[in-house]
Amino acid sequence: MSLLPVAANAGQVHLTSQTRIVAAVLALFFMLMILELIRRDRLQERYSVIWFVAGLGMLAGAAFPGLLEVVANLMGVRNTNVALFSIVLLLLLGLALNFSVIMSRQAAQITRLAQERAIERALAEKRAGERPNGNGSGQQALQPEEQRFES
Amino acid sequence: MRTLVFIPAWNEEDSLAGVIADVRRAIPEADLLVVDDGSTDATVERAREAGAIVASLPFNQGLGAALQTGYLYALRNGYDVCAHLDADGQHPPEEVARLLAEVTADRADLVIGSRYHAGAVADSGDYRPTFSRRIGTSVFRFFLTLATRQRFTDTTSGMRAANRRVMALFSRHYSPDFAEIESLQLAVRQGLRVEELPVRMLERTGGSSFLTPLRSAFFIFKGLVVLLVGQFRPRHAEAER
Repeated sequence: MSLLPVAANAGQVHLTSQTRIVAAVLALFFMLMILELIRRDRLQERYSVIWFVAGLGMLAGAAFPGLLEVVANLMGVRNTNVALFSIVLLLLLGLALNFSVIMSRQAAQITRLAQERAIERALAEKRAGERPNGNGSGQQALQPEEQRFES
Repeated sequence: MRTLVFIPAWNEEDSLAGVIADVRRAIPEADLLVVDDGSTDATVERAREAGAIVASLPFNQGLGAALQTGYLYALRNGYDVCAHLDADGQHPPEEVARLLAEVTADRADLVIGSRYHAGAVADSGDYRPTFSRRIGTSVFRFFLTLATRQRFTDTTSGMRAANRRVMALFSRHYSPDFAEIESLQLAVRQGLRVEELPVRMLERTGGSSFLTPLRSAFFIFKGLVVLLVGQFRPRHAEAER
């Protein structure tokens, strides 16, 4: 029902004040959630910037529905719905790629960490083996670290 | 000349002890390191019993990461040359000694043991590759030769010897996914002298090949993508960091 009028007079965005309030509240709620995640150390600041930008975008869209029209015109898209979905889709695509990049970096870091640890431990064992009667000491010393990793 | 021979091993408890003993006999002057790639069987115990030093990765990271661990260990501990061979008993250590001799004599920076090289065919009656492996081999051979403008016959060989220049390069950059082929491409692009030496290989004594036709196809596809991307990498890894 609501789609038809928009399609009919394309180029104009009609939002009732009710939808705008709901959208604004959702945007604010979203940003508060991000804030709370950072506060509880569940999300790092450096990965939160993009989400605040998204939240602000939502808020801007709710406050000034005309903005979407401007953007749609800039994109050369008649239908603002199409413009909106395209923007959101591109944003999500960018985010997904961003996560892949972060994931790759972290995978490389984890690998290097594992390698460093393996080498350190091999050297410790070698040293322990060279010393008389010091066979198990290298392993025992490393055990508390393993427990910390588990928790 | 300090020499390190390292063996990447992932759940190779059956064959590892035999391989270590053979390496000891064939290359007595070398130190021996087993890189355990997160094995869940008795690989580590077998290696220790056989007297090798064990570098144990806390979880399975793939062959590339295991090999890189070996190169990093060799680099850090001041070895002049290093070599690696598979843990499944396919690679006779006498042949590894020949590869090491090439590097020691400074005829090449990186030497690959090839089971398909013209010289190897005559006496390689011991080794019979499967059909899908043959297809993969020829595809990679063609494209790697095209990419590096240097003739390679055995692109996936896990028997290699290298000097410190190679250790430095591989400990910095070694693809965890597609180690064998990309590393060759990288070494050639960095201007290192890469050489193939015909070697004799045996049937594996333990474990089984992971290659099924479908996996082979995927493996080949992945390899081609890696090779293509590799062509766009900067020629000097130093420029990268």
